[in-house]
Amino acid sequence: MFSIREVSARPLGLVALLGLAACDIELSAPMATAHPGDATPRRGGTLRYASLGDIRSLDPARSSDAVASAVIRLVFAALVEFDEQGRLAPELAERWEVLDGGQHFRFFLRQDVRFHDGSRFTADEMKRSLERALAPDTPNPSASYFRNIVGYDSYVAGKVPHLDGIVVDGSHELSIHLTAPDAAFLPLMTLPSARPVCPSAGARFKSDWHPCGTGPFQLRQGGWSRGQFVRVVRSESYFVKGLPYLDAIELHFLVNAPTQRFKFEAGELDFVRDLAHADTLRFARDKRWQPSITRGPDVDIYGESMNTEVPPFDNVEVRRAVAFAINRKALVALRPLHLSVHTSAIPRSTPGFDPTFEGQTFDLPKALEHMRRAGYPFDPKTGQGGYPHTLPYLVYPQGLFEKSGQLVQQQLARIGLRIELRLVSWASYLSLTQRRRTVAIAPMGWSQDYPDPSGLLDPLFGSASINDTESSNSAFYRNAAFDALLARARVELDPQKRTAVYRECNTILRDDAPWAFTVSYHAFEVRQPHLRGYAPHPVHAFNFARTWLDRASAVRSPLEPAR
Amino acid sequence: MNSFAGIFRRVLSALVVVFSVASVSFFLLATLPGDPARMVAGPQARPEDLARIRKELQLDKPLVARYGLFVKKLVHLGKGAGVAAHQDCGRASPLPGGYELHFNLGKSYQHNTPVAKEIATRFPRSVGLAVAGIFVQLLIGIVLGSIAAAKKGTNVDRFITSLSSLGVSAPTFLTAVLLQYLFAHRLRWLPLDGFGDTMFAHARAIILPALTLGLYGAAYFARLVRDEMITLLSQDFVRTARAKGASRLRAFVVHGLRGALLPLATAAGLELGALASGAAVTESIFRWPGLGHLGVDAVLNRDGPMVMGVVLVAASSVVVATAAIDIFGKWLHPFARETPGN
Repeated sequence: MFSIREVSARPLGLVALLGLAACDIELSAPMATAHPGDATPRRGGTLRYASLGDIRSLDPARSSDAVASAVIRLVFAALVEFDEQGRLAPELAERWEVLDGGQHFRFFLRQDVRFHDGSRFTADEMKRSLERALAPDTPNPSASYFRNIVGYDSYVAGKVPHLDGIVVDGSHELSIHLTAPDAAFLPLMTLPSARPVCPSAGARFKSDWHPCGTGPFQLRQGGWSRGQFVRVVRSESYFVKGLPYLDAIELHFLVNAPTQRFKFEAGELDFVRDLAHADTLRFARDKRWQPSITRGPDVDIYGESMNTEVPPFDNVEVRRAVAFAINRKALVALRPLHLSVHTSAIPRSTPGFDPTFEGQTFDLPKALEHMRRAGYPFDPKTGQGGYPHTLPYLVYPQGLFEKSGQLVQQQLARIGLRIELRLVSWASYLSLTQRRRTVAIAPMGWSQDYPDPSGLLDPLFGSASINDTESSNSAFYRNAAFDALLARARVELDPQKRTAVYRECNTILRDDAPWAFTVSYHAFEVRQPHLRGYAPHPVHAFNFARTWLDRASAVRSPLEPAR
Repeated sequence: MNSFAGIFRRVLSALVVVFSVASVSFFLLATLPGDPARMVAGPQARPEDLARIRKELQLDKPLVARYGLFVKKLVHLGKGAGVAAHQDCGRASPLPGGYELHFNLGKSYQHNTPVAKEIATRFPRSVGLAVAGIFVQLLIGIVLGSIAAAKKGTNVDRFITSLSSLGVSAPTFLTAVLLQYLFAHRLRWLPLDGFGDTMFAHARAIILPALTLGLYGAAYFARLVRDEMITLLSQDFVRTARAKGASRLRAFVVHGLRGALLPLATAAGLELGALASGAAVTESIFRWPGLGHLGVDAVLNRDGPMVMGVVLVAASSVVVATAAIDIFGKWLHPFARETPGN
C-alpha cells in the first residue's frame, strides 16, 4: 500500500503508465463480410477513408497534391488511363493514332459520354478544357509539362486566343500536334490538367467553379467541406455500364494516425494507410488481418543529394564514397513495411524500370578507398583523417529524414565525413535545397509526376533543370553525355530501345553519383474484408473505382442523406 | 466627458496595437525562408509554373508594394454591393454619398478563397471551444482550489496539489488521445473527432476537446485559487469578520473566494483571449475546425493573407479580453470599485 504523498512524488510515472496503457492496445478482429464465398459485385454503400492532409482544389487545372489527384480521378475521366496492369488503355478516347513519327496524336473519342451536368462530351469540349487548363491566367502548377504542344509559347504569352496545336478534326476526333516527338506524351495525358471539365467551367479558370467532369463519381453541391470531408456520389451517366458499384466515396481530411486506426476498428473507415508505425507492425503481425493487407505502388524514390558545385562533393570520388558508405538495409529497418532498398533513379512502379540493373551498393572498404583517392584518407580505427570540415545536413520535422538523417550521420562518420543535422521547416528546406551553392548535402525524395522515367530523370539530373533558385536538379549535376541520352529517350518511341537508353542513364548516375540512391517508398494498406474487389493499382493510389462493399451489418454515414 | 475620452483613448490604442502586430507579422513572414508560390505549386513544380503562380498571387511585386496593397485593401471605401472588385469585402453601414466602409483580408494563397469568409466561419467555433474549455477549467479549478485551501496542509491538499502538477505537466496531446481512447474508442459514448452537422452533434463533439483544454487549464486555476485563498484567509479583515460572528462558510465564500475572483477573472480573461484565436493542438487532434489549426497550417505553408487574418483576430481577441478584464475587474474588486480615483 502506498500513501497519497508517494503518488504525488510520481506524477510523471503515472503519465508514463497511462501512456503505456494507451500504446499497448490490441487490435480488434476484422469485420464480417455478408457473402464471403460470393465474388459477384454488389451495388450500394459508402466507402470511407481518411487522410492526414487536406486538399487545396478539386479543379483539375489547379491540382497539385496527391490526395486531391485521387479524388480528381474519380470525378474526371481522362482520354487515356493506366489500366490494372500498368498499361496505357483507352478511356474517353476509344483509340488513338501516333502519326508523323510521334509528333501528331489523333484521338477518336467515345460518342456515348456525357458530363455530370448532362451535356455531351465532344472534341470541342476537350479542346476547351485543355486550353482552359493551360491558359496564361490559370494558376496551373503543371502547365509547362504541355509546352511541347505546337503554339504553347504564343498561347501562354497571351499572343493568340487558342492553342494552334490542338485541332478539332470532327465532333469526336481531336488531333494534338507536338513541336517534337515525345514518348512521354500519352502518360502526360493522364494528368489532372488533361482531363475534360464540364461546359460550366467556361473557357477561363474561375476559382468558384463547382467541379464537374465525366468520371464514375460526381461531386454534388455541399459535397466538399474544406478541412473536413469530400463526398462523391455515383454518376448514373457514367459511360462504363454497370460501374461504379458504390453509392458514394467519402474522404475525411486531417485525421491523425491514431484516430484513423480507432475509426477503422469502429467501422467508420473501410480502408486505412496512414497508420502510426507501431500500429503498422501490429497489423502486419496479426494473422487475422493478413488477407486484408496490400502494398501500394512504389512511386517515390529517396537518396542523398550531393551538390556537385560545392566542396567536397565537386569531387566525384567523395560522392562515390558516400554512395558506397550508405547501408540501405539499415535505413529500411526504420520503416520495414514502407521502405525497400532502391538504388536507381526509376521507381519500381514506373514503366521503364529495369529490375536487372545493378545500382549502387554498400561496400565500406570501397567507400574508404574512394575517400583516399579524393585526398581525404580516413582511418576508422583511430578516427583520424577524413574531410576536415563539418557539413550541415538539412532535415525537416515529422518525416522520414529526421530519423534516416541520424543513421546517415553515423554511416558517413565511418568514412570520415562529418555531418550536422539542422532541423528546418518544410518551406525552408525546399527553398534552401533548391538554391545554388547553398546546401552541400541533403536527403531528397521525388515522386513521379506522371508514370514515365522522364518525369524523374529530366527534373532531377538534366542540366536544363538547373536554376539559381528553384532548381529541381538539387545536385546541380551537369553531364553533356547524360543530357544527350535524355534527349534521345524523349523522342525514342520504341519501348525496348527507350529502356536501353534509360539503362545507360542509370549507369552514368550510378558512377557519377550526384545522388546516393537509398530507398523507395510504398504505402502499407489495410482494408476491412467487406471492401471487395480492391487491388492496389500499379501506378495510382486509392484505386476504388471498381470496388464494392459487402458489409454484414448496415452502417450509415452521418453524411449520407436520410432515406 | 472624461470617461468618453478614456474610452476613445482605449479604442485608439487597441487599434494601434492590432495594426502594429499585423504590420510586424507581415514583414516577419516575408523574411522567413520559403516561397509561398512553391507551397501552392508543390515541391516538384517547374520554375515557369512557379512564375505563373507567383504572378497570380501578386508575389512578383516588391515587398513594400505588397504591404501597401494589404493596408489599402484592409480598410477602404467602396460603393455599390454588386461591384466585382469588392465582392470579397466585408461591409460596414453606409456612409454619406452611398459609400460603405469595406474590410478585405484578401484571398488565401492555398485555398484561393476569401480569408474573411474562412475566418468568419471558423472564429465562432474557436470561441465556442474556448468558452467551453474555460468553463471546465473554472469549474474544476474553483472547486479543487477551494477544497485544497480549506484543507490546507492535509493529505487532501497534497493530493489536489499533486493532481494540479500532473494536469499542468501532462501535454494536451496525451490527454486528448487518452480521452479519445477511453470515451470514444472504448466506451463509444462520444465521437472520436469532427464537428458534427446538427446542434446535438456539435454539443457531443465539443465535450472531449473542451475536457482536454479544461483539464490542462483547471490545474493552473486550482493552484491559483488555492494560493489566493490561503493568502486572503490569513488576512486581518477575515479574522475580524470571524470575530464579529461571521460563520466559517461565510468568511470562506464572501471574503475568501470573492477576493480570489479578480486574479481568477484576469487569468481566465487572458486565457479566453488566447484560446479564442485557436487551440492548435487540441483542434488538430479532434479535427475541430477552428482558427488554431488554420493558423499553424497557414504559417507552415507561408499563406500570407491567411496568417495576417488569423494574427488580426488573435491580436484583437487579446486586446478585447484585456479591456474586458479592466472593466469587469473594477466591478469584481471591492477596493478598485470603491476607492475614489480608481
